Amino acid sequence: MTTTTNGLAKARRGVTPGGPGRAPAKRHPTSPLRAQATRTFFWLLLPSVLLLVLINGYPLVYAAIQATHSGSLIDAGRFVGLDNFTHVLTSAAFWKAAEFTVVFTIVGVFGSWLVGLGLALLLRTRIPARGVFKILLLLPWVVPIVVSSTAWNWLVATPQSPVPALLHSLGLGTPLFLADPTLAAVTVCVFKVWVSFPFMMMMSASALASVDPSVYEAASMDGAGRRQQFTRITLPLIARSTYISWILMTIFCVNDFPTIYLLTGGGPADATNSLVVFAYRTVFQNFQTGPGVAVAFLMTVTLVVVSAVLYRQIRKSSVE
Amino acid sequence: MNPSQTAFTRRGFLGLAAAAAAAPTLSACGGSSSSSRNSIEFWDMPWATPAYNTAAKKITQSYAPASGDRRANYQIIQWNNFYQTFSSAIASKTGPAVSTGAGFQAFQFEQQGAIAHADNVIDALKKNGQYDDFLPGVLEPFKSDNGYVAVPWQMDMRVFWYRKSLLDKVGAAVPTDWPSLLQAGKALKKAGAIGFCTGSGAGNNIGNHFLIAMMLNNGGGVWTPDGHLDLLNDRNVEAVDFVRELVSNGVIDPGAVSYTTNNMDAQWKDKQAGFGLYVLGLPQRVGDTSGDIMAASPLTGPHGDKAALVFLNNIMMYRNTPSQPSSEAFLVYYLGRIKQLWQQNLMNSLPVFKSITALPEFTKDANNVRILKEYQPIAKTSAARGTALRANLAVLDGGQAINQFTQTVLGGKTDAKSALRTFQSGLQSVITS
Repeated sequence: MTTTTNGLAKARRGVTPGGPGRAPAKRHPTSPLRAQATRTFFWLLLPSVLLLVLINGYPLVYAAIQATHSGSLIDAGRFVGLDNFTHVLTSAAFWKAAEFTVVFTIVGVFGSWLVGLGLALLLRTRIPARGVFKILLLLPWVVPIVVSSTAWNWLVATPQSPVPALLHSLGLGTPLFLADPTLAAVTVCVFKVWVSFPFMMMMSASALASVDPSVYEAASMDGAGRRQQFTRITLPLIARSTYISWILMTIFCVNDFPTIYLLTGGGPADATNSLVVFAYRTVFQNFQTGPGVAVAFLMTVTLVVVSAVLYRQIRKSSVE
Repeated sequence: MNPSQTAFTRRGFLGLAAAAAAAPTLSACGGSSSSSRNSIEFWDMPWATPAYNTAAKKITQSYAPASGDRRANYQIIQWNNFYQTFSSAIASKTGPAVSTGAGFQAFQFEQQGAIAHADNVIDALKKNGQYDDFLPGVLEPFKSDNGYVAVPWQMDMRVFWYRKSLLDKVGAAVPTDWPSLLQAGKALKKAGAIGFCTGSGAGNNIGNHFLIAMMLNNGGGVWTPDGHLDLLNDRNVEAVDFVRELVSNGVIDPGAVSYTTNNMDAQWKDKQAGFGLYVLGLPQRVGDTSGDIMAASPLTGPHGDKAALVFLNNIMMYRNTPSQPSSEAFLVYYLGRIKQLWQQNLMNSLPVFKSITALPEFTKDANNVRILKEYQPIAKTSAARGTALRANLAVLDGGQAINQFTQTVLGGKTDAKSALRTFQSGLQSVITS
């Protein structure tokens, strides 16, 4: 029985009876028919692969050329090696933008995840008009960012705006949500959480739906409380989906241009200047194409590294 | 099924698929350059309501070229990402032959060798009499060592506006100089209104223009007469100190640092703003043409200087054209017809031709008459204290350095010299020559 159970467990983990590792690949004799099929697949795939390489590869190669040259959008100019990278990496504005990007991303990812997960858990309970709430809660994600940023500007920008006016009437002063550098950074982060939580809510809801309710029943019978069920069962069982949503949201946050640009333009005094806004302003406002593209390259590399780390977490959580 | 027939069909299919996939790619690589087109491509921006573009398109389509010249084709280019649009098109040789665009765009593209100089157009305007119709001072800034970089067609003036009923309510006279501006501003502030309406929030350049205008108004400027950066001159320091005084007295709202043009429009519309610098046509912009919002006279600086800030919008020609004589012929034709745009009340800017300023459609607006009479003669570009426009002005006008400078000053958290020093070093690090 034990042997059978162990064998079954190994089989479920993908371990062959002969020992750990992959099962040896089956060897097929190479028949003319199979070779022809392979060639057909190759030729069928080739146009798509070529298009993908051209569509993705050409801009990447051209951007690499621009990042190592001193020209403009029209003419790449002369080769300057890594000077543009050195220039941006020694710029205080770049590091200030990087710092805000990190804060914005951390708040954006975990803030929206916490709100989204909380709402997804709440929507699992039997509350009245649950369907209506689900639709309403999706609105921040669905509404175009231009509309929502205008709405937020209307809500907080001037002393006469509803939120400052309300706070003033409560005797809490008249906070300048977009004019004070610290408050502006907080407002932009909160706005990001507001825009993004529906996505996290959907990801969490779909992950929660896949958890077998009998697991909770068993845990209850074993005496696990709600908190234990959440930390020991729910979170581990939705970990894979959570890591995926973190990766996606990290990419969304780091590359998020409109949320910041439409609400504050990166101000006041660069307080909300993220790397993507910094790159845009460097290329299109300061007309420094090389340094701007270099910033974009550095962002891409960082994102690849962060995504790789989180992807490893996904693989680990899958194995566990 | 016959195997050989199957193989043939498969190969045929693969060949077709490859051809279909390659076709758009190859055509994208080749592009459709202006030189391969028959018509003169004229790209125009949405300068006013859509009716403006309809009228401009009609003028373009009505162009009947002389024998040997080419017809013109009209295309609207949106302001959003316009620089990228133009740059990509020029780089791929699919750009326009003639275009309107941002104020300093012609100088940027001239620096990159993409602009065809307009000397022949100017000669043609001399022959047809339109050259003498230019208002004084509007053409000279476009003359570089290599020739005329572009031809002006309208002026974007920054104007001091006031709301009469608010000033009357607080018993303040319309400001005429800096002390009276401060006094009126304090009175407006005391009454709960905005003493001086400005802003430097997302996408709002009015705050930047206000600071430059105050420097010019005091006889200062960003550049020396020969085009070198000179932000720390005494007149500039004095002007920035005065703006800081407006901020510290609450005349400029502490939230102004983040106000967008929408916020400013609302403040003017809702009768909160008593005085401020804004664009031409403010009453129409905010939908209050009752006569309560009026253009004030230019202020007099503490040393007796008077100046206003103007942006000279222009039409430029590009070297990538199917026919340079055709581009020139079209531009001469178009400049001769733009009068219609003011006759149809489609423009929110000042014309550059005297004959248009005499049109009844233009003179019926008392604000227009005042601005033309009092502002235009003293107007200076952001090239002041120099006169010739240059590519670097694009970096000054929309760059990070000036945004940061304005937001720092309007935030009231630094002294004038420190703010100007940071501005100077920021600008120095990004200008090309």
